[in-house]
Amino acid sequence: MASALRGAILGHVRVPIRTLDRSRSLTCLQTSIRSMSSHGDDHLTREEVVDRVLDVVKSFPKVDPAKVTPDVHFQTDLGLDSLDNVEIVMALEEEFKLEIPDKEADQIVSCPLAIEYIAAHPMAS
Amino acid sequence: MSAAGAAGAAAGYLARRAAQKERVRLLYRRALKDTLNWAVNRHHFYQHASDLREKFEANKHAEDLDTIDRLIQDGEASYGKLRHPDPYIVPWAPGGSKFCRNPPPPAGIEIVYDYGREDD
Repeated sequence: MASALRGAILGHVRVPIRTLDRSRSLTCLQTSIRSMSSHGDDHLTREEVVDRVLDVVKSFPKVDPAKVTPDVHFQTDLGLDSLDNVEIVMALEEEFKLEIPDKEADQIVSCPLAIEYIAAHPMAS
Repeated sequence: MSAAGAAGAAAGYLARRAAQKERVRLLYRRALKDTLNWAVNRHHFYQHASDLREKFEANKHAEDLDTIDRLIQDGEASYGKLRHPDPYIVPWAPGGSKFCRNPPPPAGIEIVYDYGREDD
């Protein structure tokens, strides 16, 4: 009878939030790890990043694919224009689903810089 | 003194040219992004992107600083008219749909799942 009343009351009362007591071990582990969240599981390995960046650069129509190595400079080594550089950065943004701010996009002028930027970006996928 | 003056003028000229080049790159980047936003299908994007590049290439060899400034201004004005009202922004970026959606909860605050057992 008291438990039924308590059940009815608890149906209308909000569960209080209180700071975690460290003596309850297993349940607190399950609630602190967000096990069903898919946030942040797109970690790319560095070889993947290098391969995909090189693929993007090689598939650019004005680029000779044989000359592309992981340390080319777009304008000096590959003979591209600054506008071509902008196009390559946009292609990289599309490939890795990134949003690069304008100031930093201006600075990406070579393959190693692009690889460093993408590998260090937490949301690259 | 005239050499210092000439060097100063050359440095000023180069600084202005560099600033103009940066503005041109920024304008091209934004115009390309808007072209991507407006293009319904991918082949439309390629066509319009080539047209945009032709427009930029046509003015490539302007030399006079004031002409270049005016061309950049005209370009930015026409870009301002062609901006997309609902651009595609990557979801986790500011302005995207997932931005600030599920921030991680503050440390130390948890819901204790002991419904019905609080008195135990």
